[in-house]
Amino acid sequence: MKHLEDRKYIIGAIFVVFALIFIIRLFYIQILSDEYAIFSEDNVVREETVYPPRGLIYDRKNKLLVYNEASYDLMVVPKQVKSIDTNAFCALLDITKDDFIERMNKAKEYSFYKPSIFEKEISAIEFASIQEKLFAYDGFFIQTRTLRKYSDSIAAHVLGYIGEVTPKTLEKDSFYTMGDYIGKSGLELQYEKLLRGKKGKRYVLVDVHNRIKGKYKNGEKDISPQAGKNLQITLDADLQKYAEKLMRKKLGSVVAIEPKTGEILTMVSSPGYNPNLLIGRAIKKNYPKLAKDSLHPLFNRAIMSLYPPGSIFKLVQSAIALQEGVITPNTGFACNKSLVGCHNHPYARNVREAVKMSCNPYYYQVFKRLIQRGENKNIFIDSRIGLAKWHDAVLKFGLGHKLGIDIPGEKSGFIPDVAFYDRWYGEKRWAFSTIYSLSIGQGEIGVVPVQMANLAVIMANRGYYYTPHFIKQIEQLDTIPQKYTFKHSTGVDAQNFEYIIEGMEAVVNEAGGTARRAKIDSITVCGKTGTAQNPHGEDHSVFIAFAPKENPQIAVAVFVENSGFGGTWAAPIASLIIEKYLTGKISNPQKEKRILEADLIPKSEHAQRK
Amino acid sequence: MELKFKYIKGDRVIWMVTFLLAILSILTVYSSIATLAYKYKSGNTIFYLLKHVFILGIGFGMMAVVQNIKYKYFSRLSQLALFIAIPLLLLTLFTGANINEASRWLVIPIINQTFQTSDLAKLALIMYLARVLAKKQDVITDFKEAYLPLIIPVVAVCALILPANFSTAAMLFAISLFIMFIGRVPMKFILATIGLGIVGILLVFAIASVSPKLFPRFATWKKRIESFEKGESESNYQAEQAKIAIAGGGIKGKGPGKSTQRNFLPHPYSDFIFAIIVEEYGTIGALVVIFLYLVLLFRGVRIASRAERTFGSLLAIGLTFSIAFQAFINMGVAVGVFPVTGQPLPLVSMGGTSIWFTCITIGVVLSVSNTGLLKSNPKKASAK
Repeated sequence: MKHLEDRKYIIGAIFVVFALIFIIRLFYIQILSDEYAIFSEDNVVREETVYPPRGLIYDRKNKLLVYNEASYDLMVVPKQVKSIDTNAFCALLDITKDDFIERMNKAKEYSFYKPSIFEKEISAIEFASIQEKLFAYDGFFIQTRTLRKYSDSIAAHVLGYIGEVTPKTLEKDSFYTMGDYIGKSGLELQYEKLLRGKKGKRYVLVDVHNRIKGKYKNGEKDISPQAGKNLQITLDADLQKYAEKLMRKKLGSVVAIEPKTGEILTMVSSPGYNPNLLIGRAIKKNYPKLAKDSLHPLFNRAIMSLYPPGSIFKLVQSAIALQEGVITPNTGFACNKSLVGCHNHPYARNVREAVKMSCNPYYYQVFKRLIQRGENKNIFIDSRIGLAKWHDAVLKFGLGHKLGIDIPGEKSGFIPDVAFYDRWYGEKRWAFSTIYSLSIGQGEIGVVPVQMANLAVIMANRGYYYTPHFIKQIEQLDTIPQKYTFKHSTGVDAQNFEYIIEGMEAVVNEAGGTARRAKIDSITVCGKTGTAQNPHGEDHSVFIAFAPKENPQIAVAVFVENSGFGGTWAAPIASLIIEKYLTGKISNPQKEKRILEADLIPKSEHAQRK
Repeated sequence: MELKFKYIKGDRVIWMVTFLLAILSILTVYSSIATLAYKYKSGNTIFYLLKHVFILGIGFGMMAVVQNIKYKYFSRLSQLALFIAIPLLLLTLFTGANINEASRWLVIPIINQTFQTSDLAKLALIMYLARVLAKKQDVITDFKEAYLPLIIPVVAVCALILPANFSTAAMLFAISLFIMFIGRVPMKFILATIGLGIVGILLVFAIASVSPKLFPRFATWKKRIESFEKGESESNYQAEQAKIAIAGGGIKGKGPGKSTQRNFLPHPYSDFIFAIIVEEYGTIGALVVIFLYLVLLFRGVRIASRAERTFGSLLAIGLTFSIAFQAFINMGVAVGVFPVTGQPLPLVSMGGTSIWFTCITIGVVLSVSNTGLLKSNPKKASAK
């Protein structure tokens, strides 16, 4: 068949060429490239997440407040679990066989091939005994994690807690994978992005028995984790601990701030809880308990509770009235109890005495002058003009809006404005006589404790404040957020504050003052009492103060619910905190003992809790 | 000695190659059958081994029978086979057993054996082409007289195979063109056919992307081609696992029955059997297999050269070519030179229809060599 000769060899040649290509290809896969060789030997590269240590938190004196402790998660890859001695395994973990089956099913539901958590947060001691025997159980291995610990168990509301990330967050933020921990409240939530660091990856070769054979590609694909940034916060751990001790068996809050900087020294909300109750596994058990408690220990009263400020508001009224010129430092008013109720006290001849004795009718008159300035003959219109001006002035005292402190959940408080009363009573249907309760800090006014403390700061600084904050220093950063270094002015001259401060000094230090219990022999404390009317029971007791009078170092607000008059309980607590902070000791152990022993939780609440 | 070769006629080298491939097939299939055995026969690998040996035995029997038929009869037979194959293909397309969304199998009643109709169609078409080419040699340059009678059955058969089995259709189309090329069909016709073939494929893809129901396998084709083009090894689990198997084999291999990748590769006993061969017998094993198929091809060429008639010549070369071509496609997929397709390795992969039709194919080639040898080697003939 000669005629075929010419073509058939071409085909032969093509095949030879392909044979050569195959051989070259084989040579490449087997010898030149090691990519597949590793797999052929071990068959599994396991990607392990390396968790970065979460940033630590120190107090202002560099005392460690929050740290991490190693814990171990037992992981399982269902596909690799083969013929294990289930009974022995259950005994090792101290779980029942049903538990075992349930957990295995859950893991299988997630994935047969990917590891999922079988047992969470095994302590170091338990880990030691499990580790020893784990080799016998194919498909199980240990992943190291860290647990958050709170030394001294203080400042739970400030520090917050961490918990497992929710599915909602998982969707929004690709940083997290299921089972990761995330800050849930307080500073843990506020500074989550700084504290969490960056996760790393490690690739290890695992043989069929799940034994680690070594690093994959000598670890060149591994990504080392970046530790979270450490934070130093403004809290004074000793003072915090002391304040919490004083507030035991009381409902309320304490906020202490360094006036010159706005740094929060102490923030207590009572009742509180032990932050170590909300870590790791325990959270599931403890959280519902705390959430159901009728005294709401999870609720941070210091930033979330609105109270009428009571008489401490007279400080604001005085300052605005002096600045607006509706009164002079020497304006006096008679204590006319037909206008508004008052206690028995001598005639207040000037601002100083009005503050000292906290005369209600005096401030009725002051507020009347602020609201009805005679700028319009119609008292309704006149009141509108007056209230608008007053409202703007009050807002500058950090009231009626969120201060912007650096823990989540802060409430703004409430200062009524023209629109509010228009809505309430109708336009031009209200005047000073309708709203006069505001003059003494009652009525439709709401202030949160941290704003009260900030008011004490303004007094101490004679007219300005920095936004109260916790952050003092961020590791590797020179600055803290700019908003915490911005000086807010009240627009009231420093001189006008001096008259008021004289009064505040007299409140504590002079006979006839309303807070004689706050007196400390070695320090000039300036303060103001308040009693917030409480329609539901005993009045709330409030006291704000700063000390020393010249060059103040601390401003504090103490709020004790249902404890009656401000001078009785709130004032001595504040003085103890001031003395502890300034001198480090307590000169009057009797005063301390009285506070420590007092149980001011209403009996009805006690009954309810049982 | 002579008695021993009583049933072995024709080209002894081809017999030898076939025999060696069968031995290799038994070893490798037995090694890689475990997953299937555990899935369907609760771990009874012996069942599959016996079944496979039985199938090979029948195949060799068929081979021994077919080689005795004078090859001139295949000319008529091919016509008949094609007339049977085309209705069967239609039947398969509409009622066939559906495995992985591909209707490729007919279940033969009574013996309840699945049967891949495209294997029959392939053999029938190649023989038929040889017949027509041989008959039309004198008018081979004529479009109407020669080209149309050739191309119409090719297009018909390929079009019927295509919806369920794209790679077989494409492969058969290519083999047909090669045979036409050898059969001296003018290059301009062949090139034009290739062009039309490409247009046809594009058309099919266009139709498939508009109405995927017509071509249920379209998504798989597209994915395989795309992942091959992009070199996305990760998305292509099978190709990846095959490379791991090859890398594990090294030069000398892990030894018979020592494969580990058989547990990870899908169809280690058919589509990816070459990877298992390399893993167990190394590059050396691979070279031997490649060499065996090349020997088969070159013996086919040799037989073709010696055949006295054009029909025999085209039969021998076309059929050996089709076997070698399919083998190279299979090996090319395993080493990652071609995209993933489901072509078995002829004679080696497990699967009744494939083995039997390969055996029949070789039987036909042997028949050609037999006749040729009788003419050119009278000594041998007389010895018989």
